[in-house]
Amino acid sequence: MAEKKSGDTAHLYDSKTVRSSAPSRKKLAGNAGIGTEIPKDAVPEIQIPSFVESLLGGPLVPKMKFLPPDKMVQNLQLAVYGILIALAFLTLIVSPGAGTVWYMLTGSIGVATTVQVVVIALATITGFYGTFRRDGRYLLISNVFFILAILRFASSKVALSFDPFGLADRPFLLSSLVVVYAVFLIMYIEIGNGVLRYSMLDTSIRTNEVYVMNPGKIVGKYHRALVLNPIISVVLATLVLSANTILPALVGVLSSNTAQRLEESVELTSVYGVALGTLFVFIVTGALFALNLPTHLQRYRETRDE
Amino acid sequence: MLGSLAVAMYLLGLTLRNSQLVTIAVVIFVILTWAALFGGHADVASSGRRSEEFTGEEGMALGNVSAMRKMSSARLFEDGELSVTLRMQNHSGLAKILEVRDRVPEVMRIKSGSNYILMELGPRRETFIEYTVECPLRGFYSLGPVAVRMQDAFGLFHREKELHVYNDFLVFPKMEDLKETFVKSRVPKIFTGAVNIRQPGPGSEFYSLREYFEGDSFRAINWSAYARSGKLMVNERERDAVSDVIILVDSRSVAETGPVSRNALVYSTRAAASLAKYFLGRRDSVGVIVYGDEVVSVDRDTGKKQLYVILTKLAGAVAKGNTPLQVVVNRILPHINKGSPIIVLSNLEDDPTIINALRDFRARDFDVTVLSPSSLEFEFDAKRLDRTGYEVLKTERDVLIGELRGLGVNIMDWEPDMLLSTALAGARGF
Repeated sequence: MAEKKSGDTAHLYDSKTVRSSAPSRKKLAGNAGIGTEIPKDAVPEIQIPSFVESLLGGPLVPKMKFLPPDKMVQNLQLAVYGILIALAFLTLIVSPGAGTVWYMLTGSIGVATTVQVVVIALATITGFYGTFRRDGRYLLISNVFFILAILRFASSKVALSFDPFGLADRPFLLSSLVVVYAVFLIMYIEIGNGVLRYSMLDTSIRTNEVYVMNPGKIVGKYHRALVLNPIISVVLATLVLSANTILPALVGVLSSNTAQRLEESVELTSVYGVALGTLFVFIVTGALFALNLPTHLQRYRETRDE
Repeated sequence: MLGSLAVAMYLLGLTLRNSQLVTIAVVIFVILTWAALFGGHADVASSGRRSEEFTGEEGMALGNVSAMRKMSSARLFEDGELSVTLRMQNHSGLAKILEVRDRVPEVMRIKSGSNYILMELGPRRETFIEYTVECPLRGFYSLGPVAVRMQDAFGLFHREKELHVYNDFLVFPKMEDLKETFVKSRVPKIFTGAVNIRQPGPGSEFYSLREYFEGDSFRAINWSAYARSGKLMVNERERDAVSDVIILVDSRSVAETGPVSRNALVYSTRAAASLAKYFLGRRDSVGVIVYGDEVVSVDRDTGKKQLYVILTKLAGAVAKGNTPLQVVVNRILPHINKGSPIIVLSNLEDDPTIINALRDFRARDFDVTVLSPSSLEFEFDAKRLDRTGYEVLKTERDVLIGELRGLGVNIMDWEPDMLLSTALAGARGF
């Protein structure tokens, strides 16, 4: 420590003062109190995903270096806020306390309902905060809370917490409500991720890391997907879930009696009917993939102008 | 994640006969399937595999994308700029949204433009991506491959491909413009040049006066001296001649001690390039020996072509191995002319044979100049060496330098901020 004050190294070399490089640099470095270890700034920061993070597809970086959000990200944030409110409301409706994991644990409908409301509230709050701060950790917590809220550990048809419109008497509308709920859930997850993705892209654009050619077309495609995909999904999901209606209708062409028996079949109107419809649809889809239809379709689209 | 969630919900729903869970799972499945089939390009969605793993037609969407690259130059000097034009072509009838990243060596800096582009490439269209990179360090480099990525709008599925388009280029060490090196040969050669070799002969510099002999040119008579002495005296001039200059560059692994852009090897190669340019400009014959894990030599020669050969070797010098200087000396001693100037560029570290090797040179009357970029200074400046360690090592280094100076070696402890010309002048005692 003594040499730091005076710069005299005489005590080290039998009273011989050693002169070396320019004093300013030496003084600066000498006063820094450095050791022989590798300086911290020489080691790059590496984000290694934990086991849980690797399941989610990558590391959750706690502090993204996001610049202030651009207009598109702000619009996406507003969309998330809107969807979040709707989702919270729908979750509250379609997930009554009975049948939840809290009910299984406590056995009390009152406690279960309270916990359920708290979980939905937490999901909403963390979702708002995560979206506002553009922090993937809070969005992930929000997603997990929403999934916990919807998980039901009871054999049941669709049940509602409260039913101001009398949907319980109209099965089609009831299942449509669940479909709409599911679409909202997925769109919430998707647009929440979109906020992060487009924030990163916007940061990269502004730091000149990436150049976007004709951004209008690229963003336009995403906007179209945000509108079209939910609509198409609702229609397709409704078709898949209407197997118990469609199958009897198809069979009815051949035999009206069999069709009537099918309509009255308990199995077909229960969850197994939904499973049967799903199985049927996905067997068809799987067959399309097995026949390499996407590639043939792609080839047709790629070469049709030649 | 969504897929796993859907499967879990679906199975749980079936097990518990809970139609609500099954319904939600079905909706997730539908969205994923739709995105896979139609949301993006089919072959992006149909498989998570990389396209080069395909041998068939499955990689069609990216298979129809090609890239070509054009560079402004294949050779440039350190701190030079390289303009790159990447031409991306879409041969298919479909527009594609592509992320394109042209891989640039890590040490390069993007000066203008961008090597990472997100774009929509129309059907049967092409586009040009232009950017400029700054090349701060010498070496052999390669641009490429071009990484191309496509994904669906929601980013659920993506596909990547590397287009193996490579362009090699060479960055030469930058050179300092030297006016004088103070290095002269005492050995004449056949061809006259611009170097004084301290012997009388045809040249431009005054050497001495002598008496007039028959056959001497009248133009050489010094009339003032004649007036003083009463004898005809003529001016003798110092002989100009081509000399052999040998430059030894230390590229052992220890030469790279210090930051990437500031270490002994970087300084040595720049100095060697500058010296080679200077001596070749004087019509000297210059040879370079780079030693690291092996001894790489460029035979003595003159001219611009030789400079290019030397620069190429210096550009490719990699810090590797630990060949002692004595091995180099033993190998080259029989092949160099006695008395030739020898310039050694080394940080003088981790080589116990240095003293003996330079003693061998001096014993044979070679004019040895050592420029020693100090790795200690580089390490100390980068705060990787504490003060005490620095002082101890510095003392050891000073002792070694003193010992070499005692052998008659012209040596200079070359500190990082010192110009090459200053270091040379210091080495020669100016």
